[in-house]
Amino acid sequence: MNQGLLNLETSAFYVMLMAYTLCMFFYWAWMGSKKDLMGQFATYLAIVGLIANTAAIILRMIIAGRPPLSNSYEFLLTFVWGITLVHLFIEYRYKLRSLGGFVMPISFLILMFIIMSMGPEERIAQAIPPALKSKWLTFHVLTATLAYGAFAISFGLGIMYLLKMSRGADNKTNPQGVISRFPDLETIDELSYKVIGFAFPLLTLCIITGAIWANYAWGTYWSWDPKETWSLITWIIYAAYLHARLMYGWKGKRAAWMTIFGFAAVLFTFFGVNYFLPGLHSYASSQLISIV
Amino acid sequence: MKEHRDEGIVEELWKIFSSMKLGLVLLGLVALVAGLGTVFPQANLEPEKAKAVGQIWQTLGFTQIYSTIWFRLLLGLLCINLIICSIQRFQGIYRRTFGLKPPESASTVPNKMNVKLTGESESLKKSVHDVLGRNGFKVTTTESNKGWSFIGIKRRWGNWGSLISHISFVVLVIGAILGTTMGFKGFAMISAGSTIPINSINVSKGTVKQDFSVHIYSAEDRFLANGERDNWYTDIGIIENGQEITRQTISVNHPLTYKGVTFYQSSFANGARLIADIKEQKIPMVLQDRGGNYFQAPGTDLYLIVAAMKNDPQSPAILYQVYRGTGVEPVQTGQLNAGQTIDVQGEYKLTFEGSAGFTGLQIKQDPGVWVVWLGCALLLLGLMLSFYWRTMVVSGFFESGQGPDGELTMGAMAGKVAGRVQKEFDRLIHDIQAK
Repeated sequence: MNQGLLNLETSAFYVMLMAYTLCMFFYWAWMGSKKDLMGQFATYLAIVGLIANTAAIILRMIIAGRPPLSNSYEFLLTFVWGITLVHLFIEYRYKLRSLGGFVMPISFLILMFIIMSMGPEERIAQAIPPALKSKWLTFHVLTATLAYGAFAISFGLGIMYLLKMSRGADNKTNPQGVISRFPDLETIDELSYKVIGFAFPLLTLCIITGAIWANYAWGTYWSWDPKETWSLITWIIYAAYLHARLMYGWKGKRAAWMTIFGFAAVLFTFFGVNYFLPGLHSYASSQLISIV
Repeated sequence: MKEHRDEGIVEELWKIFSSMKLGLVLLGLVALVAGLGTVFPQANLEPEKAKAVGQIWQTLGFTQIYSTIWFRLLLGLLCINLIICSIQRFQGIYRRTFGLKPPESASTVPNKMNVKLTGESESLKKSVHDVLGRNGFKVTTTESNKGWSFIGIKRRWGNWGSLISHISFVVLVIGAILGTTMGFKGFAMISAGSTIPINSINVSKGTVKQDFSVHIYSAEDRFLANGERDNWYTDIGIIENGQEITRQTISVNHPLTYKGVTFYQSSFANGARLIADIKEQKIPMVLQDRGGNYFQAPGTDLYLIVAAMKNDPQSPAILYQVYRGTGVEPVQTGQLNAGQTIDVQGEYKLTFEGSAGFTGLQIKQDPGVWVVWLGCALLLLGLMLSFYWRTMVVSGFFESGQGPDGELTMGAMAGKVAGRVQKEFDRLIHDIQAK
């Protein structure tokens, strides 16, 4: 019935895929060649990708008649949207184009995961079980998207920090090197902290809205299911990062490792729990089982 | 002598528990144990798999990790740690918020972010007051024979963010304890048309103290026009002392609460309304599809179940099975259409009247849930204050030189995130100089 809209959604998805993929290569080409034109292309492509990404999400919303946040495909689509949005904001606000070379590959890998591992039947708008029909779900997944997007950025910054630090000596001898495009170590470190400072309250809000929703749906605000538990572990890792930084002055290398560690927990909370561990959240693995 | 040693132990304990390192170690342990619980199958989520785990792990509690004594002990120690840390920090935070005193000399002005301005005493004092006041600072000034000094604070509640968010964890734990000790949690599968007393449900936790009843008017599995499931609906009435107090339709995500007891729609099953006619005595019953429950005819060892069901509203039909005693194979099976009557082993007659819904209700009383929400609210408030409402303190000391002129040493407490404070400080200095 909505064949036209469905086709449009598919087109938006592929435009987004191409734009994000090309934009990743242009970010790399820019870092390597230092030609500003390459960098501008990269940024424009990221914007085009974000527009197509937004269009795909809105079209899905129209087709499904609900917020597009109810299965793995839809969540990954918004996750990538969150990553790119936060990235473009940081690039614009802090004039940090080289970040794209480290953040866009994350989006690219997630999109590749969608293409390789999800069949068409997993990508279409599906009927959702009654438990997912809640307005809290929207807040829950939206906060997750932004928080996870920001954690992805801090991960990219962590990688940049470690690369720059390990090549510190080369940098002096080779001022034309890729690394020379990075801002100085302290700026990367400070920015990474800011991004986590933004994301941590959002992650907290995400867990709390999840608890409120679970209490309406199942009568239990916390049932220690693997998804809940791993989101708590992620929360604890970032809480430890903040304490270590604010009280013991953990900065630089150790902080950079913690951002990588934290993002690994983020990824496990999503992929690991959906695909390796059982639990209430198993509907998220796009097999719609009833929640009995 | 002994008394002194006791004091030593208390002090020692206090010292251990007031350390943030201990808090971080405990937090790390909580994360580790919680993670283990997602690797070992948990009895409440996967009872079958949990039983298959080696006996030693089961005895140690790995299959019910979140309710073991040692996991609770960890949380308890963390709470003590947080309370003691908070008590210790309270005074300092209070002093830094409400007990600020202007510096007594130029050397006690914060020196990490520090500027020296020269100018005429009164005009400088006026512009400091104007600029700080305009920027939302609350300023305190003192005069001395050497000159004057001031201290100004802005966004003073930001100082409390950390304390509030730490205390919120304790509030959350109190809420959880209230829920487990004073509430109950149960489940009931009730057929449409029946009434059950609330204290007869199966509880997995706590006991039911209330004594009202629930009547299920109807239980429905509704579908949308496009064939997708809409929701499960239960029309439920609360009956107390023979009187119906309230009646409401609940569905998943839309529970009903009465006297602190909440009814959550949690599942649905199809069922069949049947009548057994045993020696002129008619016994009505509702049996659940797929053998969810059984009927034992009184005075016999015959067990009846509904093995399958066709839920066509026009012509519903069931596939029934009758077992005798502990026999594995059914002694009688067959199909029954609506209105049809058959004979069961010569013992009784069975009539299939039509279909009826079974509603699965999660029934719960949790007096701690509001405390948990309070904890959540405090946690968010604390984080917002810590991250988005950072307190800023500037102070200065004016030392008179010859005549009305002198030198103002002005500084800001740098705090942990220097960047933003530096920017704001530079702007203040710029504004003061412009005057």
